[in-house]
Amino acid sequence: MDNAIVINGLTKKYKNSRGIEDVSLTIERGDIFGFLGPNGAGKTTAMKIMVGLMKPDRGNVLINGFSILTDYEKAMQSVGCIIESVNPLTYMTAYENMKLVARMHDHVPDARIDECLEQTGILKFKNERTKNFSLGMKQRLGIAMAILPNPKILILDEPLNGMDVEGMVEMRLLFLRMAKEGGTTFFISSHLIHDIELTCNKVGILYQGKRLGVETTESILQNYASLENYYLSEVGFNE
Amino acid sequence: MNKLKAVYLNEVYKISKKKKITVAAVLSVVAVAVAAVAVYLVNNFSGIRVTGSSELSILVLQVMSYTLIPLFVTFVAVDMFGGEFSDVTMKITLTAPATRLKIYLGKILAIASFIAANLLAIMVLSLIASFFVGIGMPNVVRIFFAYVLAFFPLLIYAMTVVLISNLIRGTTGAFMVSILVFLLFIGAGILFPQIKSFLFTASFDWYRLVLGSFINVGKLLRVFMILAGYAVMLFGCGFYLFEKRDL
Repeated sequence: MDNAIVINGLTKKYKNSRGIEDVSLTIERGDIFGFLGPNGAGKTTAMKIMVGLMKPDRGNVLINGFSILTDYEKAMQSVGCIIESVNPLTYMTAYENMKLVARMHDHVPDARIDECLEQTGILKFKNERTKNFSLGMKQRLGIAMAILPNPKILILDEPLNGMDVEGMVEMRLLFLRMAKEGGTTFFISSHLIHDIELTCNKVGILYQGKRLGVETTESILQNYASLENYYLSEVGFNE
Repeated sequence: MNKLKAVYLNEVYKISKKKKITVAAVLSVVAVAVAAVAVYLVNNFSGIRVTGSSELSILVLQVMSYTLIPLFVTFVAVDMFGGEFSDVTMKITLTAPATRLKIYLGKILAIASFIAANLLAIMVLSLIASFFVGIGMPNVVRIFFAYVLAFFPLLIYAMTVVLISNLIRGTTGAFMVSILVFLLFIGAGILFPQIKSFLFTASFDWYRLVLGSFINVGKLLRVFMILAGYAVMLFGCGFYLFEKRDL
């Protein structure tokens, strides 16, 4: 099977000595990979490096075989992402924010913008300025912007942050449909462990900046009562 | 090239959507109207003639290129870099499939377009106003070249602001430092005339070189080369900081 994302010895240290150290991971095409870890484990740092928002001290990330450090344009050509939070331009409408993404890709017609806003449930707010959007609506817009160019890979950092239960289920179903029908590869970080269990077919744990186990959800659930139990056992948490 | 064009169009689109641009347009119209009315009143009621029809456009350029245009440029350039880093909206631009060089260049080109559009609007407005206050036809060709030349030092100032807003975190600090640097350069030109010709602010009125009966091509070339030197240094330093910056 060919690899969608290859992370090699990724290291980034902050002045407070936190960060990530020698993280390596391989995500196969079509995987829905769940990236778990406590707050401050380095998930966002790793994901920022993966999309070029941050430079690593050492290591590299290959997306579709292209290095994020030396072949940025090719690497990001078929990637959609949400990193840390969704920050649309507040003086623009949802449509205008989508248009900013559309221009950066070839052949994204206006009909596709409507389609993505419909899929994420905010089409009726298309012409409203995002200044007045709630956190959940901004997340939905962020997902719409990420899926707009029909990317082969989606890198999503806490994509369901601030969403209501209905929204979380809708987005989960959308991700599963995209993976099944379009073969989209997902790299999702979330603190919602139950959601990861329901969405992802593979799970990796990052703890104190280091990568712990990587397992398929199926094998985890064969050996543990739940993903939460597996996670707690991996990070050495004793109740 | 397509990516650079896309970045450029996005940046122009962003500028056009900001309220500050409407304010800039209104202030420009008001400034030209005030200048025209002032010149009309002085010419017709004071017994002296301060300017003819051609000079009104130059008078407006002289005032605007030292005041309102640098102010608008500072707002736009600080917003485009420091502002977008501060409110994290830069993430949308940086995660698009375009290299940082193309993003940086696209933003600079958008600022350059803003300056050009601003100058063009003022020129057209002042030419229209000239018909009402002056005597005879304005020398449109000379006025046009004067406005073209005025563009270059303003672009250098914009690149200075870009460098500052990549150096200093926060929009208020970048804005204040940019204005301070502008004033310091002008002040240094007055206090130390021996170094004046090396300061880009000294070339804010270099368009005067094409207004006289004799055009000093050698001097025009020398000033242009100094401005080109500034452009290369400022672009290089600004891009270095932009490229290194983590979000």
